[in-house]
Amino acid sequence: MAQIQDNGGGGHGKGDKKRAKKQSTHVDMTPMVDLAFLLLTFFVLTSTFSKPKVLRMIFPEKLDENVKDQKAPEVKDGITLLLTANDKIYYYRGSLKPNTELIPIDYTRTGLRKVLVDYNADMLVKLQDIQKRMNKLDDKDTAAKRKLDEEVLNVQKASKQIVLVKNDEGATYRNMIDVMDEFMITQIAKYYVIDEGMAKLEVDLIKKQGK
Amino acid sequence: MPKVKMPRSNPSLDMTPMVDLAFLLVTFFMLTSSFRTPEPVVVDPPTSTTKTEIPKQVFMITIDNQGRAFIDLTNPAVKSRVFEKVCNQSGIKVDSMTVKKFAGSGAIGLKITAIPQYLELEANERTKVNQTGVPYDTTGKKSELYWWAYYTRLEAHADFKAREEEAKTRKLPFDKSNYIQFAVKAASDAKYDAVKNVIQVFRDAKVKQFQMITGLESEPSLK
Repeated sequence: MAQIQDNGGGGHGKGDKKRAKKQSTHVDMTPMVDLAFLLLTFFVLTSTFSKPKVLRMIFPEKLDENVKDQKAPEVKDGITLLLTANDKIYYYRGSLKPNTELIPIDYTRTGLRKVLVDYNADMLVKLQDIQKRMNKLDDKDTAAKRKLDEEVLNVQKASKQIVLVKNDEGATYRNMIDVMDEFMITQIAKYYVIDEGMAKLEVDLIKKQGK
Repeated sequence: MPKVKMPRSNPSLDMTPMVDLAFLLVTFFMLTSSFRTPEPVVVDPPTSTTKTEIPKQVFMITIDNQGRAFIDLTNPAVKSRVFEKVCNQSGIKVDSMTVKKFAGSGAIGLKITAIPQYLELEANERTKVNQTGVPYDTTGKKSELYWWAYYTRLEAHADFKAREEEAKTRKLPFDKSNYIQFAVKAASDAKYDAVKNVIQVFRDAKVKQFQMITGLESEPSLK
């Protein structure tokens, strides 16, 4: 489209004299800017920044079936957690007897966590003490820090608190992750998930409880 | 009385800095954003209080609430090598085009014999395919999932060694933590036994460490 430029043109005579049209140097950038902002909005809304979090689990290598002399973890005073359907969870202390009483709990702070915190009280005190000393340390004092880290490991190794976890076919993956998470929170150092699941007696005891 | 001359202000604004900034941001988001590949199933993982972030490179095992297993690998080069090996193992011949397609296909939960056919489909047709999950339940014989796990473990190690070697020859810093790890993303309402069975297959293939993907939960208190 032709445009009439009315912006004077120096001191030349106007009117009859034909002169080259002066092209405007301005480009209309509005569409480009519109597009830029559209893209900007798109990328801002679609990009995800938070990476998913992970809980690390280490499973022992499968035991050789040919070796007969395999020791099951000892449970003299240990806790056994029984995970079953409908988000129900039971526990008992010590070894399993026909008259063992299963105590029903839940996955909340007042249920499972309280049981584990009470059970692991000694170690929690020790770890908190180490943590306090750790906080007092200078950030640059790596040697002392490493020493304290080692101490934490030793405390964990010496821990006598053992928790066994067994599940039946009704337990969900969430139940297991919840239990693992509680172990992390309450600093249980030694826990075992039993591959075979519950024993026959335990299943029977749960059935009795359910009635 | 002399006239007061108001300075005439130009109504047009200089937008150049704003536009510069807008383009800068567009470039930033374009370069940093990574697009999610379409997933065959949407899985809602349980939450936990852990703060560890997912490793850079993972072999992702997705387990949905029906116990179907889907596999994916974040490293395309390793993924295609593993695919070739597994095909070889099952006696299936694949051309390089199919391997290439597989490397960019996202999570797959199909029998190895059904995968080449699946890869022929267009992206929008793939979502319509009802995937049965990678079979892992063959008793006695090694299952397909076993071979996926087995070859991934080998290739992950080979990949790590190759990168270490390259860093050494070119005298570059080497990130030791960047190892292809096994991540499990299971639906929170999946049966634990199903998850256990899948993990069992990986344990048979001598994979011991797993990163269980979880959602975020608030800070715990011991009281």
